[in-house]
Amino acid sequence: MLRATLKGMASRKARLVLTSLAVVLGTMFVAAAMVLTATMEKSVSGVIADAYTGVDAVVTRDTDGGGMGGPGNPAAMAIPAATLEQIRATDGVDRADGAIEGQVKALGENGKLVGTFAPTIGLNWASGEGQGDYIELREGRGPEADGEVAVSAKFAADSGFTVGDTVTVYSDTVDLESAVAYEIVGVYGLSGDRDSLAGETQVAFSTGDAQRLLTGGEDVYTSVYVYGDAVDTDAIAAAVGNDFKVQTGEEASEAAAQGFAVVSDFMGYIFLGFGLVAVFVSIFLIINTFTIIVAQRQRELALLRAIGAGRGQVVRSVLAEALIIGTGASIIGLGLGLLLGWGLSEVVSATMMGGLPVQLLIPATTLWALAVGIGVTVLSALLPAVKASSVPPVAAMREAVNPPKPLRGITIAGAIVFLAGAVLLAFGLTDNLGGEELTGILVGVGIAFVGVTMLTPILSRPLVALLGAVMSWSFSGRLGKLNAGRNPRRTAITASALMIAVALITGIATLVSSIKSTTSEALDLNLNSDLIVSGAQGGASIPSFSPERVNEIRALPDVDEVGDVYADFFNTKVNGEEAALSSSSDLQAALAVFGGTVAEGSVADLAPDAVVVDEGTAKDRGVDVGDTVEVTFSDGTAEQLTIAAILEGYDLTNGWWVAPDQVQHFMVQKPMQAYIQVAEGADVAAVQDEVDEILKDEPEVGVTNNAEFVEQQTGGLDTILAAVQILLALAMIIAVIGVVNTLVLSVLERTRELGLLRAVGMTRGQVRRMITVESVIICVFGAVLGIAVGIGLGWTVQQALEEEGLHNFALPWGLIATYLVAAVVVGLLAAIAPAARAAKLNVLGAIAYE
Amino acid sequence: MPLSTPPAPQSLQHAPGPQHRRPAVTATGLWRAYGSGEAQVVALRDVSVAFAAGRFTAIMGPSGSGKSTLMHCLAGLDTTDRGTVDIGGTIITGMGDKALTKLRRDKIGFIFQQFNLLPTLTAEENILLPASIAGAKADPAWISQIIRTLDLQERLTHKPTELSGGQQQRVACARALATRPEVIFADEPTGNLDTRSSGEVLRFLRKSVDDFGQTIVMVTHDPSAAAYADRVVFLADGQIVRDLDRPTADAVIDTMRGFENRVPLAGEAA
Repeated sequence: MLRATLKGMASRKARLVLTSLAVVLGTMFVAAAMVLTATMEKSVSGVIADAYTGVDAVVTRDTDGGGMGGPGNPAAMAIPAATLEQIRATDGVDRADGAIEGQVKALGENGKLVGTFAPTIGLNWASGEGQGDYIELREGRGPEADGEVAVSAKFAADSGFTVGDTVTVYSDTVDLESAVAYEIVGVYGLSGDRDSLAGETQVAFSTGDAQRLLTGGEDVYTSVYVYGDAVDTDAIAAAVGNDFKVQTGEEASEAAAQGFAVVSDFMGYIFLGFGLVAVFVSIFLIINTFTIIVAQRQRELALLRAIGAGRGQVVRSVLAEALIIGTGASIIGLGLGLLLGWGLSEVVSATMMGGLPVQLLIPATTLWALAVGIGVTVLSALLPAVKASSVPPVAAMREAVNPPKPLRGITIAGAIVFLAGAVLLAFGLTDNLGGEELTGILVGVGIAFVGVTMLTPILSRPLVALLGAVMSWSFSGRLGKLNAGRNPRRTAITASALMIAVALITGIATLVSSIKSTTSEALDLNLNSDLIVSGAQGGASIPSFSPERVNEIRALPDVDEVGDVYADFFNTKVNGEEAALSSSSDLQAALAVFGGTVAEGSVADLAPDAVVVDEGTAKDRGVDVGDTVEVTFSDGTAEQLTIAAILEGYDLTNGWWVAPDQVQHFMVQKPMQAYIQVAEGADVAAVQDEVDEILKDEPEVGVTNNAEFVEQQTGGLDTILAAVQILLALAMIIAVIGVVNTLVLSVLERTRELGLLRAVGMTRGQVRRMITVESVIICVFGAVLGIAVGIGLGWTVQQALEEEGLHNFALPWGLIATYLVAAVVVGLLAAIAPAARAAKLNVLGAIAYE
Repeated sequence: MPLSTPPAPQSLQHAPGPQHRRPAVTATGLWRAYGSGEAQVVALRDVSVAFAAGRFTAIMGPSGSGKSTLMHCLAGLDTTDRGTVDIGGTIITGMGDKALTKLRRDKIGFIFQQFNLLPTLTAEENILLPASIAGAKADPAWISQIIRTLDLQERLTHKPTELSGGQQQRVACARALATRPEVIFADEPTGNLDTRSSGEVLRFLRKSVDDFGQTIVMVTHDPSAAAYADRVVFLADGQIVRDLDRPTADAVIDTMRGFENRVPLAGEAA
């Protein structure tokens, strides 16, 4: 039997290639994801380990397992100088260096912050051994006195400064007004000739300067690096007491590496996700191909059965073919995946990790990709194989007419599955699953997806007829339409692969457009502001600017009102429950700009012990005007405040508003945003230029008009959408291969028909057109279904997130139109080869074809 | 097949044919070989034959005699190595695919042994297929006349799978006739049919010649089918070996039997 299988395969090389390609792509992505994750993890650990070379122990403040301890409270992170002395006095310690590390902000040559996406790290320059091993001076020297700094090569490159220039650096404790300029005396790289450890920029100060900037001027350290051949961590722990954590160099290195690995893990998960989507899409392609191959081999298989092959042998013969294809394709996919993973690692480290040297690691788990590829192929072939074996030999040896199977069974099953998914989804969306809503929604979506896929054959009838009606202006178009509707199952499976890819893209696009619509509606409908002063999202720290600027903007002749916003949200509480606090220098003016109104009470001249809250929150908390609440600020202060007013309005007025006098307890005591209402009839663009001029010395913020603001707030989403589209385009490629495959096989199947058509006078061009129309119909059918399902998906997620503030549901019309056009183009492209093949058929040979 | 039927007197079969008629299809000095070298098979050797317009001609011969090749070459489905084919005054040998396709569409009707109809189209759509392909409107009066003659009125909306073999062949006949082609080539049109259906199809072909003046060239191996023709051309070993006018089944059988008993030598042409 194996011999017969192999010979059969050899005679169908083109089909083999197409089927294999799908498996190759799926396996490739899965393998690449695994290699990327492992490689990045290893590379990052390698770099971090470099930094810890020679370090025998690291002492840090034990933050009580409660996370970061709070950037607003440097004292909580500190190791006093006395503790450093205790460590130095411990037996076995040759040397202990107090290190100060933390985030700083530095102004580049252009006056804006250096390093928008990755943080700027401030540290104290440790000369000599230890850290000195991985810091390599490239130019100049290290800082020897206060007022001098050395900067990392990436800092020098990003800021545009070099040795001899001065750089202004400030931090959370030393604000921009009191910041001083430091002279750059040296530029250093990191071991391995790198400019940056993992994308960050660095400034190294004298210990005194570092303490002024990062520890509030106290003689404390953020960590202590301990050196010595006989270092005993237990002895150090005993010496320093319970408030500190003592780790060996390796432990500290691993812990640090984990923090850095988040980025590469994230990338890895994304690729794994797309790999799995690709594999999922390939399933349809493989099922379809094997169904057709088996249908064509029906007579051959029947002959085998007639001469004594058992049913099991027929199944095994088909499965053997699948196993051979699956193994071959998976091995190729694995090989390509390793290359892709390596390439991606290089790209990720070059673009996102500051030229991190890649240490390729191929984890043993990569072999799973092989298992996935082979498993999927064999399992997909199982159904067609079993079907083939159940055909009675005599029936199969007669004229190979396969009457289309009735669709009733699959339709009823599909409807039941779809309804089950929809019901689960409905329960999830209406919060009726007892805390398991999210799981319910996800599983519901998944089940509904499968249901829709099972319903595609029945849907194909009306939809193909409808789409075909549009395209059957010519006779060959009409024949193409009839051919597309001929085998609903085949058309449906082929289109399903496309549907999945399009549904995922459309779902994400719908979500993005809903978010955009919600954001811009919030601005357009409720905000009376024309210009907004704010920082770019995604920056390393909370952007803010001087309150002076607000006054200067207010003084502009064409400005009516300015509503500034201060915010405090780190460990802030109202009556013990977490709640964000806001404040404004003039709440009444701010409300006018935000489009909020006072429902009850008054907000004029807010007293220090007054607090204002929005209607919704007041209702939730069951409080009213005149009630007293306990407000806890991020600096730990708790005060009893009395509710002076209740606000009505949109999102921007939500939350708790305290008097301007309370801003002293905020972590950031400067405004973060200001909303500017320009006078009626004034030129907004001119005012924007004036405000821009006022803000020229404010490195963290800029001024935007409303449209620019929405763009700025949602710009990241577009990038994500673009990335998702590119990756899903690969799933589309697999789907397209499926279309090509189906068409090629259909052409083969209909050889005699094509011969007849050619004999009675159909031109080659008409034959090509006929095949092309069939292809376009299948593709557009898949796209239409995908768009419908994707919109459903987007709607579901929007409904699920409605309570989180995603109020609007908006369809990405432009993208939907693009996807439809893309489907037509894909259909045209997919038809090229099969159409050419059909047109080239020898008329005589085709008529005589068996 | 009535092979045991005694042969009819030879003299009756040799009534003079109406050679004065204009030929619809003329082949001159046709050569066609397949393969090369040792394995070369010469299917047609210097065949010259004319088929008069408005007549029903059958081409007969044993398997491998070249009768199908001759028909394919005449219909522009196969290429020739040497010689010319003229259909209705147009030399088709050497034509490009486009011109040949158009010629087949406009001037030739086909009836194949099986698989004559597109399964996706109804009987009526199949009948109108060549006109549809040409983007032309068929003459409705003519079409309804054919449909009436073939008794297909009740079957027009049926798909081929819903028709019997005989009905399918009748639809194929209607399609071949629908464009009033210069000539209809029928390749074993009754090969897959039972006696009754064969009779229906053959009577219709006869009728279309007699009543509509249609030219038909039919390849067959069935003497009783050939008996419906005005003339039978016998092929053996790639050459025309006998030309029989007004054949009866018995005369055809006799002639055929002659070939079986005596393998014809090269050059022994009728």
